[in-house]
Amino acid sequence: MTQLHNAFTLFLSLLVEAFPFLLLGVSLSSALLIFIDERKLIAILPKNPLLGAVAGSCIGFLFPVCECGNVPVARRLLMQGMPNSAAIGFLLAAPTINPIVIWSTWVAFRDQPEIVVFRVVFSLIIAITIGWIFSVQKDPRPMLQPLLAQRVAMISRRPRFSRYSGQAETETDSMLLQSGTFLLGTAGTPLKMEEMSAGGISLSSKQSGEFTRRLGLFVENVSQELRELGGMLILGSAIAACLQVFVPREIILNLGQSTISSIIAMMLLAAIVSICSTVDSFFALSFASTFTTSSLLAFLVFGPMIDIKAIGLMLSIFKPRMILYLFALAAQLTFILVLCHSYFF
Amino acid sequence: MNLLSRLQPSPKLKRLLPGLDVLAILLWGALLFKYWISGQLRLLIHPNYFWLVFVTSILLVLLGAVKAWLWGQEFQKKSNREENVQHITLFPPGWGSGLLIITAVAGFIIPPTVFNSQVALQRGISESLPVTQAQTESFSANVKPEERSLIDWIRTLNAYPEPDAYQGQKAKVTGFVVHSPILPENYILLSRFILTCCAVDAYPVGLPVKLNRDRSAYPADSWLEVEGEMMTETLPIDTQTMQETPTEKRQLVLSANSITTIPTPDDPYGY
Repeated sequence: MTQLHNAFTLFLSLLVEAFPFLLLGVSLSSALLIFIDERKLIAILPKNPLLGAVAGSCIGFLFPVCECGNVPVARRLLMQGMPNSAAIGFLLAAPTINPIVIWSTWVAFRDQPEIVVFRVVFSLIIAITIGWIFSVQKDPRPMLQPLLAQRVAMISRRPRFSRYSGQAETETDSMLLQSGTFLLGTAGTPLKMEEMSAGGISLSSKQSGEFTRRLGLFVENVSQELRELGGMLILGSAIAACLQVFVPREIILNLGQSTISSIIAMMLLAAIVSICSTVDSFFALSFASTFTTSSLLAFLVFGPMIDIKAIGLMLSIFKPRMILYLFALAAQLTFILVLCHSYFF
Repeated sequence: MNLLSRLQPSPKLKRLLPGLDVLAILLWGALLFKYWISGQLRLLIHPNYFWLVFVTSILLVLLGAVKAWLWGQEFQKKSNREENVQHITLFPPGWGSGLLIITAVAGFIIPPTVFNSQVALQRGISESLPVTQAQTESFSANVKPEERSLIDWIRTLNAYPEPDAYQGQKAKVTGFVVHSPILPENYILLSRFILTCCAVDAYPVGLPVKLNRDRSAYPADSWLEVEGEMMTETLPIDTQTMQETPTEKRQLVLSANSITTIPTPDDPYGY
């Protein structure tokens, strides 16, 4: 019973700590939706897959959010038709490549500034590589959750920037001439299923300019994403808390003796603890005495990319198989890079 | 089609779904605010992030209020609102907010617990310290030994780990009792948790206390204020790592003169 109570406290602690960052990320993603035209942002991204992955990874610098916050933003960008390479690059790099995380890492490891540098460089290398790999798959739909895929499919059919051309959007075309699933709307007009799916708000020209309307959309979107991602965060935190309480930490720590097993142990710990990237450097610091610098790096690089809580959130974007691929690739690349670090530095 | 329509909430229920969202947001705002105002937040996260939780709670309440207002307007108008903000999402309708509401209500009912010796033993208690300070703390010699807290002692010991240097110094420290299986029967570990970010990484530290009787008089998890004198002992464990060592090592232990049981402090963790 006490164990259960402890697990509940850990669970609450994870939530209380993550909620501000979740709200920050969700607000940012909604602000992006309402006040910034991400299609413009996406349009200026380079078309070359490698350069796209580089640019996508670096966009992270604009968004000071951790992994609870970057998932909604990545989801939004994907829905707006961002290429895979850039979106995946963003998803993996954003939790690390942002001013707040770099700053907090530097505060924690003030006396070892090389950790900050390696953290940023390794995260960038991994994010760009994985982004590049997935650019081979041109069509993002098979990787995505069905409803998100529908939304992306709709975007790709729609002419770009129709909002600026002054013409009405596709809705005004005869519904009979379009393919897709339709629901009968309340006013008796058919509604396209894809239009409604997965946060499918789009600003049409008639809505722009109205502040209250925009505020309404903003609030609606924030609460919708908060509801959905909050639900995911709750499930992920519950699993993380249970693992922390019911699996003895010594099992992991005892592994931390040799070079290779300590790296693996810290990566495992990173995945289990599911701590936010903005604060995880302080957590890693508590192992600075017992673990090698390389294994700390493994924790700092791998944790923000993949952990149990983030997997929960990522399930709102990707199919489970895709997450498995991301997980395997990120783990292998982290391991190789950190191993190189342990031999050469 | 039948199945599909059964999965969809009835129109009446659908109009109430935004209310569920409002409730979830307001409850979470209230819960965070309650943690902040009741001081329970210190059982959950590091004080550095208190303001973040406070701001979040205010923002959530504001968000809930705006959403409630918009929902109210909608109800008044009874308009066929444009359905373009209706989402089909990962969870069936109402589930996401349902989970949030259940968790928030549970948070209101079940207070966060103070971690006990069981957690301390599981996490591996030790005398070494996570570096939680961004800046080096000044622990100069003009701090009287008896004014050092348990964590100050651990900090000092980390800076200068020579047990003999402290011999004979007076100490008065508070902490909770841990019965370590590798210590002799007349020893307890007086312990504290240190938080670096949140309860997830609560890190136990402890100082061995030598009693003049069996430790069964001081059950695990009780909070004690121990006054005594520092001395060195040879023990078969390394208190830096709290591992058993094959050769006995000299360790700093606190020899207790007076022990008083105190209630669990409001502020049980060190930072």
